[in-house]
Amino acid sequence: MKFSVFQVSRKGTRAKNEDRMGYCYTRGAAVLLLADGMGGHPEGEVAAQLALQTVAALFQKQAQPELPDISAFLNEALMAAHRQILLYGLDRGMLDSPRTTIVVAVVQDGAVSWTHCGDSRMYLVRQAALQTRTRDHSMMEQNLLRPTSARRTDKINRNVLFTCLGSPTKPVFNVSGPVTLQQGDKIMLCSDGLWSSVTDQAIVKALSTKSVDLAVPDLVEDALRLGGDSCDNVTCIALAWETPDSLDSTRGSISTESISDGVFASTVQAGWLDSAADDLDDAAIERSIAEINEAIRRTAGKKA
Amino acid sequence: MSKVKPSPLPPDTVLGGYRVIRRVAAGGFGVVYLAIGPDGQQVAIKEYLPASLASREPGTLAPQVAPEKLSLYRLGLKSFFEEGRSLAQISHPSVVSVMNFFRENETVYMVMNYLEGASLQDFIITARDLKQAKIFRESTIRSLFDEILRGLRIVHQHKMLHLDIKPANIFITDDNKAVLIDFGAAREVLSKEGNFIRPMYTPGFAAPEMYRRDSSMGPWTDIYAIGACIYACMQGYPPSEAPQRQASDKMAVALKKLQGVYSDNLIEVVQWCMALDPLSRPQSVFTLQKELNRGGERRYTKLSMGEKVRLQFDSIVLGTKKTVLRATEMSKKAK
Repeated sequence: MKFSVFQVSRKGTRAKNEDRMGYCYTRGAAVLLLADGMGGHPEGEVAAQLALQTVAALFQKQAQPELPDISAFLNEALMAAHRQILLYGLDRGMLDSPRTTIVVAVVQDGAVSWTHCGDSRMYLVRQAALQTRTRDHSMMEQNLLRPTSARRTDKINRNVLFTCLGSPTKPVFNVSGPVTLQQGDKIMLCSDGLWSSVTDQAIVKALSTKSVDLAVPDLVEDALRLGGDSCDNVTCIALAWETPDSLDSTRGSISTESISDGVFASTVQAGWLDSAADDLDDAAIERSIAEINEAIRRTAGKKA
Repeated sequence: MSKVKPSPLPPDTVLGGYRVIRRVAAGGFGVVYLAIGPDGQQVAIKEYLPASLASREPGTLAPQVAPEKLSLYRLGLKSFFEEGRSLAQISHPSVVSVMNFFRENETVYMVMNYLEGASLQDFIITARDLKQAKIFRESTIRSLFDEILRGLRIVHQHKMLHLDIKPANIFITDDNKAVLIDFGAAREVLSKEGNFIRPMYTPGFAAPEMYRRDSSMGPWTDIYAIGACIYACMQGYPPSEAPQRQASDKMAVALKKLQGVYSDNLIEVVQWCMALDPLSRPQSVFTLQKELNRGGERRYTKLSMGEKVRLQFDSIVLGTKKTVLRATEMSKKAK
């Protein structure tokens, strides 16, 4: 596989950045990730980070070096991320769980598959046209998908989502793809901070006229400028696909051919979660049992 | 995902040297078996097998856990260990004792002494059906809770709280001993802070602070439950839930009806234990024991005819008030 990838995340005018992004790859598969922690609920940035870590960890586990079943991976990854967030809230006795949107794209065997939950988007741009993009799980966007006659005409708050990860209800999402990639195709993931300010046409134009290392920072800058004083976090990650035999190599592009089988590269930082549950491995279980039996012996000894 | 309960191990299965006789109970956490040890001693073996997270096909030994449920399964295992750790440190006739803890069939087992008898809950229901003024004799209640409090005092000395004391968790053995069981809810909270899952609570027996997540629990939380258990032994029914009591407390009226049936002192003790304000309760088991064991003659203040009539009248008025209140609340919501 050969591709170039570039990512940028900016805080905008918000107090903190609750967006998280990253990518991981092995010799045979790559995954792009973006999550936008939700406001109105506690610790959105934790939810976003947990979601990314969980998906990245599962990818590392399953991509050896290819994912055996991409669709199963995406389904499992989102549900696992959802549970990790719920667990985090449960473990801390939180009244309300942290929540996040997520969008995940997997590139493998020269094709892309993706899924999303909430209003973070994926765009697939080919030549100078928008091939496809995800439809947000928002009341506004779902309304637009209805036939004109059945549409609501009143103004709908675009921020109202009907699904996300971390809410008490089961997340709703579908897996799309695989779509076979062609030389020069661009896959772009972004948070609503970008698409709410920059139009789809402008996004397509930027991605089809510039290399990703220029298009991504430019799009983010545009979003920050257009967002003005109330600008949300803006996060964007894009991948440009290069057919392996193509001669003109983009500067800084990644070729996975040279990496060996066991190698896993990731920009997703692990370690936020000391994972109360995961640290209970076999050794820890044995240790606990030994401790308890030792206590039983001590207590019995005292009695005797 | 199957909603079928995991199948229990069949009789004669050998577990860590113990032979399973039969299943005696099953709960959310797993299954309890009666088993026989190599020395012929009867034991109770608690198997960690949470029905919502694990499944087991009939005829197999190891439970199956779906990969996505593994972390919750492990978290539950932590509380199971917690219970084992709590009990392992205590050796007291009024506290169920754990004898062994082992891993087998890809899950864990806790071996406890097997108790023959029935729970206080069963006794209350049987006594209640006799329809007499007294559920239990006062002397029975006093000696029963004297035993339980001795055990609870040791539990608290080990910096642990039971947090789910209720008649169903007080076991009366066939040789007339009261034993505190089911420490599944117990957490070592007296020394640690934060980072633990709040236990589930039983309405009626759970103190108001168990419903609030912000306040700290302490020995007084278990003492509230003890008060509620004594109340249930006098009334035959559990007291109202704490949140309900905070809205409108009928405790005083309910206790007044017991005047003359039970001594003033016992009624006052219940009232003291069940104070809504944690600080107004006995702060330690020792304080409560002192009050319960105070010698001297017991006074029984009988209600006069006038008071009886008034009480009956009060309950009618209270009933009406409730309806009025409900109606007003409805209208408020409608606005």
